[in-house]
Amino acid sequence: MMRLLPFDHAIRNLGRSPRRLALLVGGSALVSLLVLGAVAFSRGLETSLGASGLATNALVLAAGSEESVERSEIAPGVTDALATGVDGIAVLAGQPLVSPEIHAALPVSLSGEAVGSEGEAPEAPPVLVRGFEPAAFAVHPQVRLASGRWPRPGADEVAAGPEALARVGGAAAGAREGATLLIAGQPFTVVGTLHAPGTAMHGEFWMRLDRLAQLTQRTTRSCVVVALGDAEFDDVDALVATRLDLESVAMTESDYYARLAEFFAPIRALVLATAILVSCGAALGGLNAMYAAFASRVREVGTLQALGFGRTAIAVSLAIESLVACSAGALLASLIAVLFLDGAAVRFSMGSFALSVDATAIAAGLLSGIVLGVVGAIAPIIRCLSLPIPIALRA
Amino acid sequence: MSEAFIRCEKLTKVYRKGDQEIVPIRDLDLEIARGAFVSLMGPSGSGKTTLLNLLAGIDSPTRGALHIGSNDLARLSRGALAAWRSREVGIVFQSYNLVPVLTAFENVELPLLLQPLSRAERARRAMEALDTVGLGDRASHFPSQLSGGQEQRVAIARAIVARPPLLLADEPTGDLDRESADLVLALLASLHRDRGTTIVMVTHDPEAAARADTLLHLDKGRLAARESRGAEAAR
Repeated sequence: MMRLLPFDHAIRNLGRSPRRLALLVGGSALVSLLVLGAVAFSRGLETSLGASGLATNALVLAAGSEESVERSEIAPGVTDALATGVDGIAVLAGQPLVSPEIHAALPVSLSGEAVGSEGEAPEAPPVLVRGFEPAAFAVHPQVRLASGRWPRPGADEVAAGPEALARVGGAAAGAREGATLLIAGQPFTVVGTLHAPGTAMHGEFWMRLDRLAQLTQRTTRSCVVVALGDAEFDDVDALVATRLDLESVAMTESDYYARLAEFFAPIRALVLATAILVSCGAALGGLNAMYAAFASRVREVGTLQALGFGRTAIAVSLAIESLVACSAGALLASLIAVLFLDGAAVRFSMGSFALSVDATAIAAGLLSGIVLGVVGAIAPIIRCLSLPIPIALRA
Repeated sequence: MSEAFIRCEKLTKVYRKGDQEIVPIRDLDLEIARGAFVSLMGPSGSGKTTLLNLLAGIDSPTRGALHIGSNDLARLSRGALAAWRSREVGIVFQSYNLVPVLTAFENVELPLLLQPLSRAERARRAMEALDTVGLGDRASHFPSQLSGGQEQRVAIARAIVARPPLLLADEPTGDLDRESADLVLALLASLHRDRGTTIVMVTHDPEAAARADTLLHLDKGRLAARESRGAEAAR
């Protein structure tokens, strides 16, 4: 019967070669971290968009603007038409939960921010600003006020999502309630802080609908969100389909965000592809390091063969070393990801979302480390064991 | 006359290097008795190390027969050869070939990992082997913490720890100073004398060769001369 080298022989060998161990663990951690980061990006985007919409809400927006609520413009009368035309809509304090909203991407900066070297105003990033009415609190239960108060009608006031504030540099500048922001060039005071973690709304500014309409000089709304209550989505859909004068379409809020996720699918694919390519580069580096680490042991492997150890026993022992080191690297990468990547904000054009280091991301990271451990060991093992023993002994 | 332990018949080894054919061992007939202490001498390229590798089963003959004990090495598979080596042969290399990340004790214990022994029994036998070579107090030292002579003695302990009937040594004193070389040679002589171990030693050193009871001179892959001292052990 073939006798294998004991498991602790492989572990002992690893522990006695700190440089080789560091090379293997570091290379594997880098590859795993890249894969983990890419999957966390994809999962974060997916989760954020998924959590932002409710299947129990219907979203009514302009026909032809199904992919972008910011581009949608519907008449103010749509709100009343929905409130009176659909039976069974959820009601709170006698009021139907129908929330007209304006979604606008506006340049936002901190008031008093330094101007550029040539005196021009610094370019402010566009951030999503949502105009709301009180029904919004009920139709978007994911959002609550962490501190402060809601903006008042007509007032130059906003409630700020933490990510939105961070995006305009407010977090770094220590801006909080009481701070003044320039939104589309006009000053607004932050009076409250939104709390909607894991949703797109964590990265928005909210002001009252009438004030945003005035600011953007529009009379139209972007959309109306309807809390269905006892009504069916088909009731809302039938109404907007028959009332051609409304020039609107309806979809469930979750469908809207699912479509938005589809819109971002190429970006996710691009990020994954980039991460995979970079990981391949890192993996090649890791493989090279592993090859060097093992190839330097040709003589040791020759000696073990001369002592009577079979090639399979030696190959298994070397593979265990590689697997253990690479798994340790993958675990280290997972720990780093959980501590430093999970929840980290990714900001893009008008929004932001948080990286999600969930079980899927960790599984992908661990798997990449294990694959590297196995695949990376193959070439050097073949190299070590393919040499005739007398030549290996003199290596 | 003693029973032949090692028997080579028309033993030939051919290497190819491009179009060139190299024949380090050519039609060699040789018998070595059980319990003999044989020195293999000869100029560089005479085939000494190749013959030793063939005897160790780490190289395979191109033609001819090679019997050691009851085994026909030419007929054994690679795996069977490895198993045979673990039971029957101890090898001492010129450059020691200790595993650098293992202590002296762990290096000596290595061959015992191939035996069905308990951890305690392995430890006992490894320490016994280290004591035999006078290095019991260096068990926890790494090779880098030992002198060349000490390293070679650890290598000898590793070669004898599984109590093999055959010990092969390739220039065991080649890298050592005279004093260390004498210690190593005395050790080999005592193993031969006390345990009856069959020893085949390749050497360039006449003083080392003089420790053996038989001197075999190889030239161009053939047995050129045979010199016996005391009992005729090799023919």
